[in-house]
This record gives sequence, C-alpha cells and structure tokens, in this order.
Amino acid sequence: MKPLTVPGTLASLALVREYVRAAAAAAGLDRKRSYRLELAVDEIATNIVNHGYHEAGLSGDVEVRARNTARTLTITLSDTAVPFDPRRLKRPEQIDLPMAERPIGGLGIFLAMENVDEFRYEHVDGHNRNIFVVKRTAA
Amino acid sequence: MSFSVTSELKNGIAQFTLVGELDAAAAGTFREAIEQAAASQPKRVVLIMNELTYMASAGLRTLVFAKQKMGASVDIYVVGVQEPVRETLEMTGFQYSVVMLDTYNAAEIENI
Repeated sequence: MKPLTVPGTLASLALVREYVRAAAAAAGLDRKRSYRLELAVDEIATNIVNHGYHEAGLSGDVEVRARNTARTLTITLSDTAVPFDPRRLKRPEQIDLPMAERPIGGLGIFLAMENVDEFRYEHVDGHNRNIFVVKRTAA
Repeated sequence: MSFSVTSELKNGIAQFTLVGELDAAAAGTFREAIEQAAASQPKRVVLIMNELTYMASAGLRTLVFAKQKMGASVDIYVVGVQEPVRETLEMTGFQYSVVMLDTYNAAEIENI
C-alpha cells in the first residue's frame, strides 16, 4: 500500500483508521486484531494532533505507512510535531479507581501499548516515528 | 462511518443512542449531549450501544465526564455493547463502574 499523508487534525483520524483497516485486511488480520491495531494507531494519532501539534501551536501532517513481512504487519506514523516518546508513560493507576474518582483522560497511550505486539518510537531528522508491529497470525 | 447521538429523557432516565465511530473528533458531540441532559438532573443514564462500532479513549473520557457531571449516585447502564468496545471497557476497568447489559431490560433499568 502507498503511504497516506493527512493534515494533523482530528478530522483526519477517520482516514487514518480506514487506512489501517485496509492494511490489516490485506495482511489477513481477523476482525478483532484489526480493531485493536486501529485503536492503537488512532490513540497515538490523536495525541499527535492534540498535544504534538495543536497545544504546541504547531501545524503539520501525519503520514501513515504500512509494511508487511511474512510474519508481521508494521504501521508507522510520522509527524513533525513536538518530540514525544509515548513509552515514557507508565500504566495509569486510575484503572483501579471507580469512575467517579478518575481523572478525565490519560488512557489513550495505555490502550495503544496494550493493543499491539510491539511498539517502538524513534525521533529521526525532526520526525517522530511511532511504530506499531502486530503478528499476522494469532499464534 | 461518522458518529451520531440521539437522546431522550423520560421518567428521570436520560437515554442516549450512540451510532457509528466515537473517536476524538466525535467526542465533543457526545459531551454536549451529556451536558444538556445533565441540566435536568436525571437519576439514571442509559447508553444504547448496539450500533456503536468503534470507541476510542475519548469516548471513555466522556463516560468519566458523564459520571462526574451527573453525580456518583447516578448509575450508568451500557446496553448491547459490541465485542471490541466491550474489550476496551474491560481493559480499562470500566466494567466495575457501569452496569453492562446485553439487551435492554426494562424491569431492571426502569426500576428507580
């Protein structure tokens, strides 16, 4: 699949998910694994748009790219927003709290990490690269 | 698929029917619907989710907002949630804070 470049805005999220869904289908992922990958990528893309671009007063694009090997599907998000490594966030403690006592927010990155087999982050030549790897078979 | 929410208020129950994909772009619409309903101080919140095909953390955030806006004594019922969305709710511990029902159970939901 050709990479897709979209503006770093919330309106682009649906396009990113659609791209991931198509890549997952082409790689033979079942519905459940496809959904999980879509969620993981969507959560990080949301953070890029909200925190990396918008809150920092920046604008820019998000590129999404799919690559298959025999065993894995890799989705890479690239952007020129504020450098941020999502792996720095620990498991949120709020998961053990009742809803009435929870802070609003803070679950997106947790969901991203939990829903792929491997997550990597790089910052290269002024670009954030968030890399999601899933196995193509459930084994 | 885009997101839509319809709401109705009767007998102290605020019921929302969520359709489509609830992502960060759509969460504001849901939040507004919650805020409007909160003004009439419902005793219970019912979310019909049979046609909600996707929910990101922005949707979870709105559930937390609803609980805190309506008050801790207002129970939230989640009805007919699809499997992947259920998995997200369970992964983040929401099943302990909302009542999840497979189908609309009038005897339970409407007994305030």
